Amino acid sequence: MKKIICMLLIVLSINTLSANEIDNIVRNTLHQHFLPCGDEVFLRRTFLVLTGRLPKSDKAVQFLQSVHPEKRALLIDSLLDSDEYVRYVVMRWGDILRIKSEFPSNLWPNGVQAYNRWLYEQISANVPYDTFVRNLLLSQGSNFRSPAVNFYRAFIKKIPENIYQNIQLLFLGERTTPFEGAACFDQISYKTTKEWKEEIIYLDYAQKPRKKTVKLSNNKSIQLQPGEDWRKQYTEWLTDKQNRRFAAVMANRLWYWVFGKGIVDEPDDWGAHNPPSNKALLDYLTDQFIASGYDTKALLKLILNSGVYQSSHAPAGFYIAQRLPAEVLIDALADLTGIADEYRSRVPEPFTFYPKDTRAIDLGDATVSSSALELFGRVSRDVSLESQRNNTLSARQLLYLMNARELEERIRKSNALSELCKQEKDIPGVCRAITLMTLSRFPTDEEMLLYRQYAQKNKVSVRQLASDILWMQINSIEFLYNH
Amino acid sequence: MNIHPFFKTTVLLISMLMMFIPDGASARQAKSVILVYLDGGPSQTDTFDPKPDAGRDIYGNFKEVSVTNVPGIIIGSKLPLLAQMADKYSLIRSMTHGVNGHETGHYAMITGDLSGGDVVYPSYGAVISYFKKDSYKGILPPYISITAANNRFNEGGFLGNRFKSFDTGGAPEKTTFEVEGIVNPFISAEKFNQRLQLLNAFENINPYFKTSAYKQAIDSMRQHNISFIFGEAGASFDLSKESKEVRERYGMHRTGQACLTARKLVEAGVPFINVRSTGWDTHKKGFQRLSDMLPELDQALSALIADLDERGLLESTIILCGGEFGRTPRVQWEAPWNGGRAHFGKAFSYLVAGGGFIPGKVVGKTDKTGEEIVERKVYPADLIGTVYLLMGIDPNGTLPHITAGLLPVLPSLGKEGQSNGLLYELIKP
Repeated sequence: MKKIICMLLIVLSINTLSANEIDNIVRNTLHQHFLPCGDEVFLRRTFLVLTGRLPKSDKAVQFLQSVHPEKRALLIDSLLDSDEYVRYVVMRWGDILRIKSEFPSNLWPNGVQAYNRWLYEQISANVPYDTFVRNLLLSQGSNFRSPAVNFYRAFIKKIPENIYQNIQLLFLGERTTPFEGAACFDQISYKTTKEWKEEIIYLDYAQKPRKKTVKLSNNKSIQLQPGEDWRKQYTEWLTDKQNRRFAAVMANRLWYWVFGKGIVDEPDDWGAHNPPSNKALLDYLTDQFIASGYDTKALLKLILNSGVYQSSHAPAGFYIAQRLPAEVLIDALADLTGIADEYRSRVPEPFTFYPKDTRAIDLGDATVSSSALELFGRVSRDVSLESQRNNTLSARQLLYLMNARELEERIRKSNALSELCKQEKDIPGVCRAITLMTLSRFPTDEEMLLYRQYAQKNKVSVRQLASDILWMQINSIEFLYNH
Repeated sequence: MNIHPFFKTTVLLISMLMMFIPDGASARQAKSVILVYLDGGPSQTDTFDPKPDAGRDIYGNFKEVSVTNVPGIIIGSKLPLLAQMADKYSLIRSMTHGVNGHETGHYAMITGDLSGGDVVYPSYGAVISYFKKDSYKGILPPYISITAANNRFNEGGFLGNRFKSFDTGGAPEKTTFEVEGIVNPFISAEKFNQRLQLLNAFENINPYFKTSAYKQAIDSMRQHNISFIFGEAGASFDLSKESKEVRERYGMHRTGQACLTARKLVEAGVPFINVRSTGWDTHKKGFQRLSDMLPELDQALSALIADLDERGLLESTIILCGGEFGRTPRVQWEAPWNGGRAHFGKAFSYLVAGGGFIPGKVVGKTDKTGEEIVERKVYPADLIGTVYLLMGIDPNGTLPHITAGLLPVLPSLGKEGQSNGLLYELIKP
């Protein structure tokens, strides 16, 4: 009888799931029904995807107990409007724009700060993607006062070929590109000022074009006239609606950020040798992205409201479980224990210490790191490839979680856990509170029984039980993966 | 072709004989490297290239020198123990790369790359772990830093995270060397097992991962770690197993106990060990600081070389000692330095020992003040390439890059102004 009710509920929920066009396209290609995910999975997944954080316990309870029929859509909206979303996207862009004080980008801390602040403002205002790219590429001035110019500084060799190659990679997914278009960046010049580490990026209008007519990727040509900003012609061509590749690369990148796998995968390796796994889907997303006026939030909203996104993890569902990214995991450990790592910058001397509660996500500088961040594969920001982020779980990472003195010390010393034990008083209350903050769900009856037996058998105090359960849940697959 | 039977027999005889010569090609292959890295840039004038006749603006407060047991070689006065064993190591007094910034100096000195290309190269520890990934079967990571790698740039370079160093963390000079993930004094074996049982029970009833494809792989990694923690891996870091005499011989300080740990890791077969000593950036009051730091280095390094030698491990272990650059031979007496030295990438020194390096020699020469190299420049790629050669790695080989295909192991090797040839004069034929 119980089974039948369960089946009925599942069928019912499949029918009530608002199927959007993404689902129709995926269903037409894969011919497979995907098991929808439960509220608790949706909650955790969406927080992790959009903000890189676990939901706070009160937020989790509020959502899980809500009977609002649109609660999932509402959560997506509120997270897209959150400050945490902006910070997380700044980190993702920082990775591929290679924001770093020292080698090899050499932006210096002031430049890094200004650049991050600029990104923050652009993303916070949800500036349309095409405008954002124009703002970035057409920048000139001081690295401290016109922060977008740092784009042109983040190279070991600041030569037109390297700049052009990087732009083609970032915005068109071209890994190898003929250098002809590099001529559009010949005017870029650099000079220092009397201010320490300031650099001015300006255009040398006296230059004559290498070639009058420059051929670009899709056989379009542009004319370079003396005395004009040649980057303008290139950028107009790049961000033109006719240039579908431009929109498609970003649409696919957003898909990749959500699912951990692109429709074109890897997301920065485009070309005939690497066709999309679902062309209709890519076309649809590209169309929607262009039609929305390059609105990244709108496209994320569309993707996250699909049944495909809101399905269970593979093989029953479409979603592929991924290990939490380094910064997300390290920040989560800081949140759970209430004790964060301390970060410092070794330049400029004397060393600069970050405020104590700085999140790894907000560091904004790959030169500033920690052993734990390095261990979990934090991006070094040497190249503009998404694949630089390695989220594969290794034995060495598990070793840290299982037995690091440093982590154990934080669990033991955690005031947060002690407070929680005082507040909850009994074993069920403590187990419930820890499960909520760590796994964003209520414990099952079976789990409750398990914890009670554990406490009895090993004769542990409530505080010790709290440490043991937190250790266990941090080490569990359910915690380590976004699923 | 007609080959005379006598010739054939001779060749056969020679080949057979060569098999019994212990110092042939196989002995040429060193098994481990210990890099005693003096982070910050040690002063060559006060260590391996003293200039007692160059006036006080050069030798500063250390006019005295140590006469070594090898005729003609003198070293700094604060290194008396190393002076007694100069027949066990050689000195390179003509290291150069011309870089005066810390992080670019580090990059040059631990990747050997001076090409200025748009590619971030891996450190030599990472390159050696990469080439030993199939042959090295030890349970410990192939590249270990005591207590942490410099991490001023991405040490894995384009080879990726997998080849980065394992940072021990902790403090070897304390009663218990708490190696991150391996030695955890807070948790007894009993508690650890209780928790593991809880984890297993939890995942067996867990609604999400009961039948997960990941579970099997992760369980086997956990199992690997358990044997790691409670097996021989932990023992390699357990300095309490060493006698008091041995520990005190190395010195009961960070550098000493780190060097002792390095010896234990060599015994465990680890291919690359980075003993990273910090505080060598002696801009201010340099002589005071060096008076404290050099005796520790002297004790630790001399004990390490002697101990490996006594155990018959020196022939298969390369020891290197130096930093990212040297320091200006000319002392800055004025405030705020008050007797310090600035960064100097133009001419500095490295100590090399063991693993097939010929001992008791000096390579290269600086001028009277030490400000110019007058004989045999040695670039980072020359030193690192020689280490590769001794480790059985082709210095002219290639490494895979994700988008650029195969790249040379040492892009600067053989290039004018970035290389001056491998150190054949320092390796046994």
